[in-house]
Amino acid sequence: MTGRAAMRTTKPPPEARAAANRRAAAHPVAWWGWALLLATAAGGTGNPWVLLLIVAVAGLVVTWCRGDEPWSGAYRVFLYIGLGAVAVRMAFYIVFGGADGPTVLLTLPSVTLPDWAAGFRLGGNVTAEGTLAAAYDGLRLATLLVCIGAANALASPRRLLRSVPAALYEVSVAVVVALSVAPQLVESVGRVRRARALRGNTSRSPANLMRTVVSPVLHDALERSLALAAAMASRGYGRAADVPAPARRATNAFLLTGLVGLCAGAYALLGAATPAPLAWTVVACGAAAAVFGITFASKRVPHTRYRPDRFGPRDWAVVAAGAAAVAGTVLSGVFEPSALWPATNPLSVPDLPLWAAAGVVIAAAPALLAPSSRGGTP
Amino acid sequence: MALALAAGFGLVAMSWPLLAAPGGALTETTSGPWLFALLLPLVTATAVIQLTEGGLDARAVAMLGVLSAVVAAVRPFGAGAAGVETVFFLIILAGRVFGPGFGFILGCTGLFASALLTGGVGPWLPYQMLASAFVGLGAGLLPGTAAGTRAGRAGELALLAVYAACSSILYGLLMNLSFWPFAFTQGNLAYVPGGGLEENLSRLLAYSFVTSLGWDVGRAVTTVVLVLLTGPLLLRVLRRAARKANWV
Repeated sequence: MTGRAAMRTTKPPPEARAAANRRAAAHPVAWWGWALLLATAAGGTGNPWVLLLIVAVAGLVVTWCRGDEPWSGAYRVFLYIGLGAVAVRMAFYIVFGGADGPTVLLTLPSVTLPDWAAGFRLGGNVTAEGTLAAAYDGLRLATLLVCIGAANALASPRRLLRSVPAALYEVSVAVVVALSVAPQLVESVGRVRRARALRGNTSRSPANLMRTVVSPVLHDALERSLALAAAMASRGYGRAADVPAPARRATNAFLLTGLVGLCAGAYALLGAATPAPLAWTVVACGAAAAVFGITFASKRVPHTRYRPDRFGPRDWAVVAAGAAAVAGTVLSGVFEPSALWPATNPLSVPDLPLWAAAGVVIAAAPALLAPSSRGGTP
Repeated sequence: MALALAAGFGLVAMSWPLLAAPGGALTETTSGPWLFALLLPLVTATAVIQLTEGGLDARAVAMLGVLSAVVAAVRPFGAGAAGVETVFFLIILAGRVFGPGFGFILGCTGLFASALLTGGVGPWLPYQMLASAFVGLGAGLLPGTAAGTRAGRAGELALLAVYAACSSILYGLLMNLSFWPFAFTQGNLAYVPGGGLEENLSRLLAYSFVTSLGWDVGRAVTTVVLVLLTGPLLLRVLRRAARKANWV
């Protein structure tokens, strides 16, 4: 409120500017698009320099653009998960073996499992080439995870929920209710426990806790949901919009056709009998029919939106920056494919593919396009 | 009908590594995992739209929201510890009381809400949502038992416990399938593109046996214990709410 009032004056105070800035953060769909494109670029290369550059770019953009909501710390969590993926991949290589090479680092005692347990070899030679290949592979997976983490840190889930198709309106309302009720449950547990302590009940036996804490909290939550439902119904929510029967039948037909098309396409893709172009066409047709059905079903719901979230030119620029990374990887694949997938046997220091690196550097543009009010503080 | 198709596609999307025949279109390219990861949200959305056709009423939306919040609130209790999974007993019991359609949607919205709250949205989310939706769906489809008698109640609890154990193990196998081709690309346990059903199935089972058996058994045990401990109370509470909301 203060932010809107202050904007009418000529020079808004800093906190009002900060509020306006936060509201003008880039669209969550744009952030997801950017992160997924960056992840696609990471999936298209095995070069450790490019992968580390992608992680650095994602980290830079997250540091500059995130707000201070609870989910903003997701990037660090995903970074740890990524490190875990690298470690697991290495451990698996050491125990179960993989690519081999001439440079033996150490030899573990080796066991061959009996035939009923699939006859795998455990232990054996650990080679530098194989370890490096496993590390590159793990780094690629870790980079994908870090890109997803960046999207989690940057995109506000509440704003994202406002962008779901109108046909999923009821379900998205249920999720919004869930997001707001979850903190109330914690408060409810505290209230019930206080009341229990006031009655002099300090028993810690699980059966007693079950009867005197869990049960009241659940009853409370369900009562609250019924009260909420009554409030929603009395405000006209859930009135069945009158949709003409032919339109409803058409929607159903499209959705079903889409599903049938997708199933048939998946079957055709998996089998060897159908030629590949035909199978891909069936899948594409099925997906198109399903998307069309969803948009068609969205039309039947005459809901208005409060302050609709527009996808502006800056959001397109964010997506385009992500697309630059993919384009760079594709160009590198054409001009310098050996740098994109460096060989680990014989051992060598991989070259930096210039096109891919340039594309990834361009993908850092959102740090300048959509900086958050918090500036560069991590 | 739509649900059956979505279920079929979901199963294919998860188990494609086993089904891809040598020489088929998918084994020539590396696009298989990405294709299904992109199509799965679309299929889930289509199934949910079909289920909510004509609109959920306000009471169902509110009940769904509150139960999803409970799912999201109990989920962190199980995070990290070896296979302790505190979500399924709720989805199973709610699916049992409110029916298969509600169980399906609760499986989707519950995991979605908890992922949003904890910032855990990732490529695994559609698979988790669909797999737990199947758990809720199956719980709603279990045969009815004689209500009201003591033997009937005990029988219902036993039925739910057995179902809980089976569905937890199957959920673990499905989740393994969904990320197994991504996770390991070399070595004895890795997925072989175009390797045929027997080859890959034995590799998958060995992989599950080595990596996730502890998790799966832990999940099954916690779910069964939680169903047995909280079942009588939760079933009573949920049935009372259902009666008050006048659904059943």
